[in-house]
Amino acid sequence: MDYLDELESQSIYTIREAYHHYPELCLLWSIGKDSTTLLWLVYKAFFGKIPFPCMHIDTTYKFPEMYKFRDHWAKEFNLDLQVYTNQEAIDRGVTYDTHDSIEVCTELKTNALKQAIAKYKYKALFVGIRRDEHGIRSKERYFSPRNQKFEWNYKDQPPELWDQYKNETQEDDHIRVHPLLHWTERDIWHYIKREDIPINELYFAKDGKRYRSLGCMPITNPIDSEADTVDKIIDELENTNTSERAGRAQDKEEAHAMQKLRALGYM
Amino acid sequence: MSKHPKFMVYSIDGVPHGLMQRMFDEGIMPNLANLASQTGLRQMRSIQPCVSCVAWTCFMTGKNPGKHGIYGFIDRREGGYDLAFPNQSMMTSDTLFDILSKAGKRVFSMNVPVTYPPRQVNGIQIGGFLAPNLDKIAYPASEGDYLKSINYVCDNDAALARQDKSAFCKDLMNTHERRMEAMFHYLEQEDWDFFHTHVMGSDRACHFLFGEMLDGHPEFEPAFFNYFRAVDESVGKLLTILGDDVPLMIFSDHGFCRIIHEVQLSKYLIDKGWTVPAEQPQHPLSIDPAKSKAYCLIPGRIFINLEGREPGGIVPLSEYDQVRQQIKADLLDLKDPKGNPVIDDVVMREDAYWADANGENLGTISPEESAQSGGTYGKAADLIAVPHDGYDLKLGLIAPEIFINTAMTGMHSYHDAFMVSRGVELPQDNLEIMMLARCILNTMGLPVPEDMDGEGKAITPNFDLSCYA
Repeated sequence: MDYLDELESQSIYTIREAYHHYPELCLLWSIGKDSTTLLWLVYKAFFGKIPFPCMHIDTTYKFPEMYKFRDHWAKEFNLDLQVYTNQEAIDRGVTYDTHDSIEVCTELKTNALKQAIAKYKYKALFVGIRRDEHGIRSKERYFSPRNQKFEWNYKDQPPELWDQYKNETQEDDHIRVHPLLHWTERDIWHYIKREDIPINELYFAKDGKRYRSLGCMPITNPIDSEADTVDKIIDELENTNTSERAGRAQDKEEAHAMQKLRALGYM
Repeated sequence: MSKHPKFMVYSIDGVPHGLMQRMFDEGIMPNLANLASQTGLRQMRSIQPCVSCVAWTCFMTGKNPGKHGIYGFIDRREGGYDLAFPNQSMMTSDTLFDILSKAGKRVFSMNVPVTYPPRQVNGIQIGGFLAPNLDKIAYPASEGDYLKSINYVCDNDAALARQDKSAFCKDLMNTHERRMEAMFHYLEQEDWDFFHTHVMGSDRACHFLFGEMLDGHPEFEPAFFNYFRAVDESVGKLLTILGDDVPLMIFSDHGFCRIIHEVQLSKYLIDKGWTVPAEQPQHPLSIDPAKSKAYCLIPGRIFINLEGREPGGIVPLSEYDQVRQQIKADLLDLKDPKGNPVIDDVVMREDAYWADANGENLGTISPEESAQSGGTYGKAADLIAVPHDGYDLKLGLIAPEIFINTAMTGMHSYHDAFMVSRGVELPQDNLEIMMLARCILNTMGLPVPEDMDGEGKAITPNFDLSCYA
């Protein structure tokens, strides 16, 4: 077995295990490359039919190319697609123009997801995060319990030895399942290439720029790149030392830094 | 016998030499005064630009910014005219903590600026004030749980100072107490080879209370000195633990002086036609690149919008130095409303920084060669405006006026950091912060990396500043 087969089979094992335990399950589809790869793995795991709903938390600030891609492939994959927006916050006037980006994220992403889980009563969510994305994500488990307040206590996690996953939860909790945890950004692109997985056009260079990571339009920047094919992207990744999320201008950490620097008069 | 480290650094951000002398004389810091009466109190130079992130990186790498890559709190993000926020992951050099870890030494650092995100040291690294939360602040991450359990505060709340200075003073004391509890906890944990605790509240106190202190404000002068009494109490307790023989350094990274005006330098560059803001500026770097020959980052770092180097560059290389000289002349021309000059000197990048191992290139490479240099050195500003004391250089792309005054009453000064050290051999003259790392390695009997600065030609030149006149 080559290493992509190994990655694939471990992910599919996790996916089937989760499906066995949780009938009330859904897949969070952000339309980015990772969750689309996850979708593909589920598709393969169940031989061409995705047996549970996919949910897109729509902040209403995604790129037009992302909406187009979502609608097209939802049809092609015959998805049971649920789109959820925190309409209450939008009606209250929460926008990137008027609020700071941490607040917008909390309302339109975190709170939207909370509301969606409450509404549809899901017990488990498939999420396409990877250990190598972000410092804190390195402490994640394949099966990661959250309480109702969405709190994740990384010190109180069940051990996962010899592929024995603990997937029982308390009544009110839900569990996050991370089948891609052990993949790297490079693995994803190698796999996309091998499987010919459909991927959003924003990832490919146009006029010397491409997006390496997709988020809300006002806070996502392209990187300088000539990589307009999967091969060139793989080549670029093998020769870069900047971080994947470098283009995500104000992820929470940067917004935090900005607030501090503003208070100190540096902004 | 209680545990103690083999080398101790206790840094107190931003305390000027003169103020320290005054606090010694007035009995506000008796413990440190007593130590200094045996060892001496020295003055030390900082680095340009004179901000904590740059100065502390120079300290812990023993290198000039041309090698470590931290030039300020804000950079231009590669690929556009957007902001980036430098942190330790963008630092292109090992630090003392990394060097000592690799030599098998057990190290501890807490709250040193630009140590977020923490690196994997042989020991513990607790990041500084830009760390977003206690879950992410430490290596190993599990130390965050201990810090939470004692209600550790990463940084006091500077925003508070703009609303309620009394509440700000209370917050300063609390932050210091929490940090000291953590320090003494970790000191007891093992016989560390190298232990560094950084105090940041002193810088905050000076930023927001320096003027009040100088003017003898009825509430804030006593509050200011009470804070330093608390710092001195911690020093006293620490000295007892250390005994008489442990090599020790207590110092600041820059000095402070009273603000006369905050200077909106971007606004001045706009008035002079060098910078044209975007139609709807979103942030301090929202410029119209097609019309801007230069732009400014804080503090006083001016970049030429050079063709081929900047994403929307319009100044051809052949005009690079000419444009720089014109901007320099304009900067030196800037006067405050009373007619006093604002800018003391304007230093060109090739006269301030270097990338080669022993500093031979400092001031010897041509402007054009310097302008086109890539890598870490290539991220330097093309001109660095050094203000006269009292003129705090800000950005102010959309500011209505060049000169304003705010809740901040103190600003950094370059020439008057302080140093109290024991058991460490320091250069006799012209001490600067970049020299300390090699002295520490020497004291610990470890080899100094070949590309480390801080002696021979690889030291910061004494610019033509009025403070030396």
